[in-house]
Amino acid sequence: MIIRLTSLSQNIVQFSRYLRQYGFTVGIEEETLILKSLQQFDYTSQESFFLLLKMIICRSKANLDEFDNLFRQYWKQLDKLVDTKSKEGSKKKKSPTPEAQFASLNTWLKGNPKKETEETASYSIQASLSQKDFSAIPDNEVAELMKAIRSLSRRLAAKANRRYELSNKIDLPDLRQTLRKNLRRGGELIDIMHRRPKRNRVKLLMLCDVSKSMELYSSFLLQFLYAFQQVYARMETFIFSTSLQRITPLLKQKYFQEALDLLSTQNEGWNSGTRIGESLHTFITSYGNKLIDSKTIVIILSDGWDTGHIDLLKESMHRIHARAKKVIWLNPLAGYAAYKPEVAGMKAAMPYVDVFAPVYNLESLRKLAKWI
Amino acid sequence: MQPVTFMSNTIQLTEVQSMLQQQGYITDRSVAMSVFLSLQLNKPLLIEGPAGVGKTEIAKVMANALQTDLIRLQCYEGLDATHALYEWNYQRQLLHLKMTEHDTHTIDEKERTIFSEPFLMKRPLLQAITHTQKPVLLIDEVDRSDEEFESFLLEVLSDWQITIPEIGTIKATYIPQVILTGNRTRELSEALRRRCLYLYIDYPDFDKEWLIVKNKVPAIDARLSEQITRFMQELRKMKLEKTPGLAETLDWAMALSALHIDHLDKTIIEQTLGVVLKEWQDTRQVQVSLDELMEKTGIVSKV
Repeated sequence: MIIRLTSLSQNIVQFSRYLRQYGFTVGIEEETLILKSLQQFDYTSQESFFLLLKMIICRSKANLDEFDNLFRQYWKQLDKLVDTKSKEGSKKKKSPTPEAQFASLNTWLKGNPKKETEETASYSIQASLSQKDFSAIPDNEVAELMKAIRSLSRRLAAKANRRYELSNKIDLPDLRQTLRKNLRRGGELIDIMHRRPKRNRVKLLMLCDVSKSMELYSSFLLQFLYAFQQVYARMETFIFSTSLQRITPLLKQKYFQEALDLLSTQNEGWNSGTRIGESLHTFITSYGNKLIDSKTIVIILSDGWDTGHIDLLKESMHRIHARAKKVIWLNPLAGYAAYKPEVAGMKAAMPYVDVFAPVYNLESLRKLAKWI
Repeated sequence: MQPVTFMSNTIQLTEVQSMLQQQGYITDRSVAMSVFLSLQLNKPLLIEGPAGVGKTEIAKVMANALQTDLIRLQCYEGLDATHALYEWNYQRQLLHLKMTEHDTHTIDEKERTIFSEPFLMKRPLLQAITHTQKPVLLIDEVDRSDEEFESFLLEVLSDWQITIPEIGTIKATYIPQVILTGNRTRELSEALRRRCLYLYIDYPDFDKEWLIVKNKVPAIDARLSEQITRFMQELRKMKLEKTPGLAETLDWAMALSALHIDHLDKTIIEQTLGVVLKEWQDTRQVQVSLDELMEKTGIVSKV
């Protein structure tokens, strides 16, 4: 609520609080800074005053872009209050949230499950070869996703080994190598060699379900796969519905739009039925030996709706689990509060899954870091 | 030129503006305000923006205007404390010990000698805080360094002291004026951002760019400079692998001016495109749509 205040310092404090509502990190430090610099500053010109606030408060490009508008809105509100001499704040207009693209998903998750449950929970037996229009997917969240995934992948890869390797940088001295190297100089220690802890190189393998029942999440999933492939080099990506397709090279495009174009021309299985068992079986027989080893983390993105053989699924999961370092199953449906993994496919796979977590938007992805 | 007094408390915004102008740095008010505030509040200034818009130039101009030295730390992936702070000159220490092998110094004395100033190699950060005068410290492309270095930088930027185990803690004689630049290749941490003032510099608009070209290349023909600027403005709207910055505009203007050319035409553009575009895909793309580009910029090709 905006209240009319007469002193400048009070107004600045109130303005800071106003900005905080919009996600600005304006602390006491910034407020003090503003007041301190205003002491020695001629702030009669409105433009200078505006610039001064802007330069002290803004901390990123996103802040800078938003600031102009918020500043204008705040002082407009204030002017209005001066005119009416009223002490009550009028209602602020809330700007629309940037997460508009997942709005439909969120309303479904929180609000009215009835109508849409049918749609998400349905699965078709026939493979539909319908072309999906990917052009509607905005790429504005890709950067955010990449940021979240980057911190996630660092966590995955950061485990250091107990062995050492030679390092070119100044690091822990390696006495043995140093002596060896300097033997040719008659034992005078001239060159000093260094070593550092060897890093474990975790490989990732992503298996993503793109069948009809996953349709609601397809825009998120695509961004997720693309962002992950961009961030993490040692990663292979497969999509499956009724059949399996390797899309690693398709995702390695510089722009998200290019990857989308390639995917939409080459996809066949989007929006068709699901045969997880068969797909995983194809995977383990034709790629399994090559791609999975004890340093590989397998990530499966699926809701577990299966129209194929449950036994085959069980067997494939068993084989994958035995070979891989870890199996992570990310289920978009699991974000729904009442969800229990009771679908036949999911039930069959559960014993072979190390981590089972929900992932359906950016927020859930951030939470995922806790699980892994 | 009147030297600007260094007691930053007395500096005024208008002085900063004229100071930047005198150094030939054409800019808008937000840049002047940032520089002013960073001087007045003695806070580091974080500058982000696309490549070639004059981020590094601000530091140079500042050092020039303040008549002090510019100490530069170029960041890269894998940059660590030994390259940023200090390193003992191991080879020299070893040789020194070898040479004084038969002297009668005690071990204590020897130790004191080899861990003294002559054996210490000062890297930029240590240099900056032990400088005899308040320097401008430019930490260039900070987003290229890894996160460990970033958090290490936080420590130095807030305490202004460096501890060397063998010698002790070295406190800053003068707190340097710090400028950090970044290309937004990686998001910097919130903690680092909070310690700095933030400035974003974008590609200049037509009027500003034209003014800069005329200012930096005084010998250029008026018509040519306008054509070059218009052409570059259009070029940036294309989807290129590497969008040319202001630095490329100036290079091109200087090149054409040195060739005594007074207007652009198709053959000249084709021949000198390499000054502006640095990727072969871009060159091809521009060559294909050159006619359209020239039409947009109003360059008539003489047949």
